[in-house]
Amino acid sequence: MERSKRIETLDKRAVNLDGFINEWPEMGFVAMSSPYDPKPSVKVVDGKIVELDGKQRNEFDFIDQFIADYAIDIKKTEASMAVSSLQIARMITDINVSRREVVELIAGITPAKMVEVMNYLNVVELMMGMQKIRARKMPGNQAHITNLKDDPVQIAADGAEGAYRGFAEEETTMGVARYAPLSAIALLIGSQVGRPGVLTQCSAEEATELELGIRGLTTYAETLSVYGTENVFVDGDDTPYSKAFLNSAYASRGLKVRFTSGAGSEVLMGSSEKKSMLYLECRCLYVTKGAGSQGIQNGSVSCIGIPGAVPAGIREVLAENLVAALLGLECASSNDQSFSNSDMRRTARTMLQFLPGTDFIFSGYAAEPNYDNMFAGSNFDAEDFDDYNVLQRDMQVDGGLRPVTEEEVIRVRNKAAKAVQAVFKNLGLSPITDEQVERVTYAHGSKDTPPRDVTADLMAAEDVLKRGITGVDIVRALAETGYEDIADNVLSMLKQRVVGDYMQTSAILDKDFNVLSGVNTPNDYMGPGTGYRVEGSRWEEIKNIPHIINPQDI
Amino acid sequence: MQINDELIKKISQILAEELGGEKSQSGSAVPSLSGRDRINEKKSDYSSYPKANKGTNPKEIVIGVGAAFQREIKRTICNIPLDDVLKNIKAGIEEEGMVARVVKILDTSDVCFMALEAAKLSGSGIGVGIQSKGTTVIHQRDLYPLSNLELFPQAPLMTLETYRAIGKNAAKYVKGEQVVPIPCTNDPMSRPKFQVKAALMHIAETEQLDPKLGIIEWEGK
Repeated sequence: MERSKRIETLDKRAVNLDGFINEWPEMGFVAMSSPYDPKPSVKVVDGKIVELDGKQRNEFDFIDQFIADYAIDIKKTEASMAVSSLQIARMITDINVSRREVVELIAGITPAKMVEVMNYLNVVELMMGMQKIRARKMPGNQAHITNLKDDPVQIAADGAEGAYRGFAEEETTMGVARYAPLSAIALLIGSQVGRPGVLTQCSAEEATELELGIRGLTTYAETLSVYGTENVFVDGDDTPYSKAFLNSAYASRGLKVRFTSGAGSEVLMGSSEKKSMLYLECRCLYVTKGAGSQGIQNGSVSCIGIPGAVPAGIREVLAENLVAALLGLECASSNDQSFSNSDMRRTARTMLQFLPGTDFIFSGYAAEPNYDNMFAGSNFDAEDFDDYNVLQRDMQVDGGLRPVTEEEVIRVRNKAAKAVQAVFKNLGLSPITDEQVERVTYAHGSKDTPPRDVTADLMAAEDVLKRGITGVDIVRALAETGYEDIADNVLSMLKQRVVGDYMQTSAILDKDFNVLSGVNTPNDYMGPGTGYRVEGSRWEEIKNIPHIINPQDI
Repeated sequence: MQINDELIKKISQILAEELGGEKSQSGSAVPSLSGRDRINEKKSDYSSYPKANKGTNPKEIVIGVGAAFQREIKRTICNIPLDDVLKNIKAGIEEEGMVARVVKILDTSDVCFMALEAAKLSGSGIGVGIQSKGTTVIHQRDLYPLSNLELFPQAPLMTLETYRAIGKNAAKYVKGEQVVPIPCTNDPMSRPKFQVKAALMHIAETEQLDPKLGIIEWEGK
């Protein structure tokens, strides 16, 4: 057959490098609803749920049991289940029905019913729902701060720049896991240089992550993964009960925590039990609520290639974000993993969270070039900063970032790099040269920086753990080396752990360490003229992008 | 123990068409697999294989391979023959004067747990886990399961040189040397390209699990 030049041209487009697959419910390759999903049902006897979504109590797996015992409001459930799914879907989009009314009704429905409700909503209606149901009034954003070399100096500099650009939370992780203590320290310091009050975490193996948190080297945690089938939980040596216990361990030390889940993980693990991605994710979200977590990072997250490959997969991703919000959870809505070779497709996918606003639109945005992103690439990276700022300006939408000046970027990067250099020296950790500080200050990514002595760094990392270095040691080292202002900021972050207010749903801190959460600044959207609006000084800030034509120059 | 080669061929053809984007002719309809419960209809039977024992040689490193390794799956996600993968890891171990033993892990397909189980069987306490799609972990018997010495999560970026270096590094951990971890590689676009294929390969591996048999000797015994 002679090939059509038109079709040949289209075949070469970036979108055709993406992986697509037909629906295959038996293997879980189905987004919104599977023929094997259960029908909604509930039965309460003597104050106990004895039937859940077609299963009797003696047939429950441990997820069913956990949900029945801890995640559904037993007093409300029979009344809530009596309301038709269509009616609930309409209430979600109805500007005359308040968030509170919807959330209270939803507290009584089962996972299968939730799936039914979501299937009535198209993407615009799902966005309307998110705009109203999101917990915190003001949307927010989170960054990934990582690099290919696990270079702590670059982490500090990128952390400082990211904080200055507006991210409310920053998350790091490592290529070499043993770097964790150095990464955590560098990010803690860097973030407080860029903007006081930014929360930081270090995604690591669970026990290490907990230890770093307890020592005050991080200020929140996010990587507590839950799954929608028993098999995947067991594979990870876990149960909903063990996750609830881990959650309590963080809470006991006053640390903010959210869980992580998302469509496709069960498919990737080969244990989807033939259920739809949305149904399995609903089970995860109910487990999260039952375990007492204030929030979740979801929206497929690192498994985005799976829902992204099936029909309606991206609608499903937004639906699962909305389910989280409907259950009263803070939602850090993913957008954090490279998803498509097509710039058009990856941008469109993000608009579903960007336009309505979520608690954290990205979880997170790569605040370094994607080649340095050790979460295997985010959907947006440092090279997209200006595009993102223009999108905020075009649509008068608050995406959580702001335009910056080059002078200030250089200043905060340099200060953070120097502070980490001083702290490492003060604590007797691996040496950081002046040349490295200089190169990192002006760098775009790790291709522009000198190599680190990995062996010395790893010995220092081990030393941090062995010597029991804590957040207080970091404060002291900063103060002793002339960085009193950063020492004050880090100390204020540690104080939050004692006060505990930032453990409320959807909490972030402003530059004066005031908590902004779903409790003291709740989302009060009820249609035009209400809720969060981009106006005043924030709008002026968003308008003020670089590269604006000066009419006087013409 | 029968393997339906025709089915494998058919499915890999379907996968190649679906995943190879640029190769597939536009408009050619891919048949639906709806209604089918497995990728390979048959499950391999390993009941006649010897159960893997705990080693006593302090120079020994155990390599734990996935349930479908060299049987249902013969190449990694980026098409490297698994025979060559194994050959290179073993060569790396031997070049450093250590001894390799290969077992097949039939009770889990999670690479961290595979590597930890291998480490626990290993005379030296160092083990390597490899999934059939190529994802590899170096583990040590007294670490937490999801902690590890080195993890290579992006299977599409692996080369035979990396596998050889993994063997060498595993051996260096045994010798108690200061080991420089193999530099990380990162391709942010490997997810959109490979994640579906990864899921299908993992399903093909997981459906071959036989937890009753646990871990079996796979090679050289």
